[in-house]
Amino acid sequence: MLERISRPSAVRRWPGSIPVGHRYTPGRAGEVFFTALRDGGVLLGSRCSHCDLVYAPARAFCERCFSELVPDTEVGPGGELTSFTIAFVDVDGRPFDLPVTYGLVRLDGADTVLVHSVLDPGDEPLEIGQRVEAVLRPEGDRTGSILDIEGFRPQPART
Amino acid sequence: MGVDGHARASDGAAPNPPPDPAGRGLSEAEFRSAVGAVEHAVDARYEWDAGVAIGGFLEGLREGRILGRSCSSCERVLVPPRMFCERCFRATDAWVEVEATGTVQTYSVCHVAWDMRPLDAPELPAVIAIDGSDGGFLHVLGEVDPADVAVGMAVEAVWKPVGEREGSILDIAHFRPRRGA
Repeated sequence: MLERISRPSAVRRWPGSIPVGHRYTPGRAGEVFFTALRDGGVLLGSRCSHCDLVYAPARAFCERCFSELVPDTEVGPGGELTSFTIAFVDVDGRPFDLPVTYGLVRLDGADTVLVHSVLDPGDEPLEIGQRVEAVLRPEGDRTGSILDIEGFRPQPART
Repeated sequence: MGVDGHARASDGAAPNPPPDPAGRGLSEAEFRSAVGAVEHAVDARYEWDAGVAIGGFLEGLREGRILGRSCSSCERVLVPPRMFCERCFRATDAWVEVEATGTVQTYSVCHVAWDMRPLDAPELPAVIAIDGSDGGFLHVLGEVDPADVAVGMAVEAVWKPVGEREGSILDIAHFRPRRGA
């Protein structure tokens, strides 16, 4: 008859790992976006005049009509919080010391959103539609990364 | 439509995709220096459950023994062991220790590693048919010039020192030409 395992420790497990490294380059429009962010502290979008849409961050093609686009439109730094979530653990499931708030932000002048962190939400509860503003790292500290934007700080409601 | 065959925005229809997209492949230097590039490594770990038969086989290797399972119906000794005889469609009967010797059934001379790194000295993966069994397994040859390897060559296991064994197929360091064969 087949042997049955009565001790779980008797099960021999063989550990292994697969090296899966990658490098992602942001493409033509993405490189212009990150270079402008690093060197000029500006946020660039791409306007599709056919669809009357501004994509931000900038991209090379209109996803609706396939027109080629160029990063030609400055957007932000203010914007609108269109969604948010509060994370208590990181991507590996380890608890954060303090919860981190992530949000989708539609920059002023843009029709699309980008995901980033929301800074210092404070005691006032966040709301969908809340005004936020990009906080950039100091010029010398910027490397051409989405993290050149430290995050988006909620602004007081306009009266 | 425009004379070039592409719709114009003024026509009210969406323009066609450009025939020659401006995108292109990057040179190695461009790829390495691209502004805004992100590097990441996925932590892709796994654990393979060896099961009863291979678990026992690996424990045997730790003790310096090659174990098989016998089938009393077809009178074969299965190495590596299985708890089920695929020929007789019945459970195998007993654990059997076999000699740590065998013959080269097939082999290869590898000048690159699995990840395409060039190797200074070629590796010699070989399937070893284990004496006294109906089976065998893939391992590597050592202590032999690649030019001297031949199918049918008698070989013997060279074990790692006891303290270095961990219940792994690599507890056999390699197979070498059998002394006195």
